[in-house]
Amino acid sequence: MRFLFKTDYEDDIKLFPHSGYLVSYGILLALLLIAPYVLSSYLMSQLVFVCIYATVGVALLILTGFTGQASLGHAAFLAIGAYTAAYLQKYNVPFPVYFLAAGLLTGCIGAMVGFPALRLQGIYLVIATISFALIVEEVLARWESVTNGNEGMRVKTLSLLGVAVPRDSPTFYFLCLAVLVLTIVGTLNLLRSPTGRAFVAIRDSETAARSMGVNVALYKVKSFAISAAITGFAGVLFAHKLSFISPEMFTLQLSIEFIIVILIGGSFSLHGAVLGAIFIVMIDPFLTYLKDDMPGIIAGIAAAFGAGAQEAADVQSRVAAFASLNGLKGAIYGIIIVLFVLFEPLGLYGRWLKIKLFFQLFPLYKRATFKRQKIYVKSERNR
Amino acid sequence: MSKSFRAFGLAVSAVVLTHLPAAAQTKVTNEGISASEIVIGTHQDLSGPIKGWGVPVANGMKMATEEINVSGGINGRKIKLVVEDSGYDPKKAVLASQKLIERDKIFAMVGPMGSPTVLAAQDILLDAGVLQLFPLTAAEFTFKFDAAKPQERLKFNNLLPYVESTRAALKYMIETKNFKKPCIMHQDDEYGKNVLDGFNQQLAVMKVQPASITSYKRGASDFSAQVAKMKSDGCDLVVLGAVLREPIGTMSEAKKLGWEVTFLGATPVNVLEVPALGKEVVEGLYAASNFEIPYEDTAKGKVKDWLVNYKKMFNADANTQAIIGYNAVMTFAHYANKAGKDLTGQKMLDALESGDKFQDIFNSPPTVFSKTNHLATTVTQVQQVKNGRWVLVKDNLMF
Repeated sequence: MRFLFKTDYEDDIKLFPHSGYLVSYGILLALLLIAPYVLSSYLMSQLVFVCIYATVGVALLILTGFTGQASLGHAAFLAIGAYTAAYLQKYNVPFPVYFLAAGLLTGCIGAMVGFPALRLQGIYLVIATISFALIVEEVLARWESVTNGNEGMRVKTLSLLGVAVPRDSPTFYFLCLAVLVLTIVGTLNLLRSPTGRAFVAIRDSETAARSMGVNVALYKVKSFAISAAITGFAGVLFAHKLSFISPEMFTLQLSIEFIIVILIGGSFSLHGAVLGAIFIVMIDPFLTYLKDDMPGIIAGIAAAFGAGAQEAADVQSRVAAFASLNGLKGAIYGIIIVLFVLFEPLGLYGRWLKIKLFFQLFPLYKRATFKRQKIYVKSERNR
Repeated sequence: MSKSFRAFGLAVSAVVLTHLPAAAQTKVTNEGISASEIVIGTHQDLSGPIKGWGVPVANGMKMATEEINVSGGINGRKIKLVVEDSGYDPKKAVLASQKLIERDKIFAMVGPMGSPTVLAAQDILLDAGVLQLFPLTAAEFTFKFDAAKPQERLKFNNLLPYVESTRAALKYMIETKNFKKPCIMHQDDEYGKNVLDGFNQQLAVMKVQPASITSYKRGASDFSAQVAKMKSDGCDLVVLGAVLREPIGTMSEAKKLGWEVTFLGATPVNVLEVPALGKEVVEGLYAASNFEIPYEDTAKGKVKDWLVNYKKMFNADANTQAIIGYNAVMTFAHYANKAGKDLTGQKMLDALESGDKFQDIFNSPPTVFSKTNHLATTVTQVQQVKNGRWVLVKDNLMF
């Protein structure tokens, strides 16, 4: 077990508290960098979606996880980013310009949403963000001169400095990875700055934050704007990855997926956004993989336990029939989410921390370590 | 020195020249064809908002596959059909298509479901040289192709496009019944927009002014405002760019108001569920359609056997969706058969473009493609609900 001895504030805000972090993140980065040369493009596509979803997850964490403002409107921010890119691309605006423009515009709109949201709390804020998402969806369907309405827009292949970057190329993956890494590093720094501290203070107790001199309104709007801008950047990548966007892609369903990202991943740390994104994107391909391969594996096990060839084939066809039942994947997916919410409210990252601590403290691990310590003042409990 | 340079130059230009025509050639994959098997793939919505289409279509495809395999396959090769669930989510459709190409090594994508899902995954298929055959969306991008882009030749569709079928049916209705004030109520999405386009184009050609244009959100269940508006605008024909529940909802609303008006649905209205659920409310409803819907007690011969087999296999009544899925695989099998024993991607493409006719067992208009036309048919029928059943009013309609 390692004890970190901190002597001043600089030690407390280090991005890498000790050399172990550098080594493990270095290895992770190296693996991510060689991935496109080792993995199939099917897996690489999944990784690209993980990067995009994780970027949105980080954005949502800033707003929901750290500022305590729930949002079911992030699909709309993603849509604004995606449509800005698709629209500007039509006029041959270069990628860096429309990428930044998309983030900027989405950020401004996020701030505009933030203002009315100042007076709303909890479930009412969620309703407000849902209405915002519905308005955006409606605008996208109606404003045909810009968005092409319900017919949707084709998004041309990304062109970076005159070089085409197809959506399946390693370069596109590196671009998505770079956006994610920059977002994470930026957010880590943000959280160590006075702004980030103010966000967390607002989350923990608005009254306490205000009495400490935090301008709650200003920081809430800032949080909305930053979160929206990052989602807008992700929207540009999303549009390029799908090569086609239409209003029906950016529905409440997608916003719920983003909330699930941080719920499953863990809403108290940025790790949660990445782990949640991996879950959301890869669970479906993983279940597909099980569907295809489990029947053969189970038949193999049956044969190993002395079943005849005929019996093994019989078992295989029965398992295959069960595995390809319609909606089975959806049911499994739903059950996993329910189990997580019930038994692991800290999400995947919380589970990982518990496992790590269990081994570090073995045999002295106490369950109560992760018990919720915070006790709210009565006036804030029911908001 | 200069000699070797010239030789080098000649060599380079020779290489360039021999490769230029090759670059303009369509690349078609030969993956998925083995001595005993042809692997085809599809992605369907088995769990999302349009699973009412995805599930029966997948069933129809499975049934066709089984029938072909039982009767000896295609030139001795069995068909292996791999079905993936997209849940009508373009992201999942992209991943499913990549999985089908890389893991299952499909030869062709047959009957994939939905406009955004098919469009998001389209380039991936075409770039890999995989044929995109008969998708379950009648949008233009599934058959219109740019001759300058060779990979686009891999797209074929056999569904009746919404624009063309709406135009043909509307033309017939206005010409025979002399309607003066046609209106439209359409679903607020890409499909509804297609029907609206067809409606507007045909009225412009016939120099008739639309009396009223209204829309509704997908999933809406209350149409009182739309019906009241159309009634006050004095419509005598209402075109429904709707799917399943909406024609029933709209017509019962009109009945409630005591409004006698004629309704004409676009092709997706022409499904068994509409008269089955709507009962007497939808009596007299017209719809554009592609082929006659068979009923078990009146069907004869092959169609009768088909209906009985389907029920036995899936424990559900066959519907239009199942027929479309069944036909997608059957059409594939017809052209794969024609491509011959030594099937390759190029031979399949040639067979599809050969102009050879495919006639299904349901007496649909024949399927024919050519080098310039990758849309099977635009011949439309008009049917009407009489005594709870769809009955043919007029076929062989064009606009």
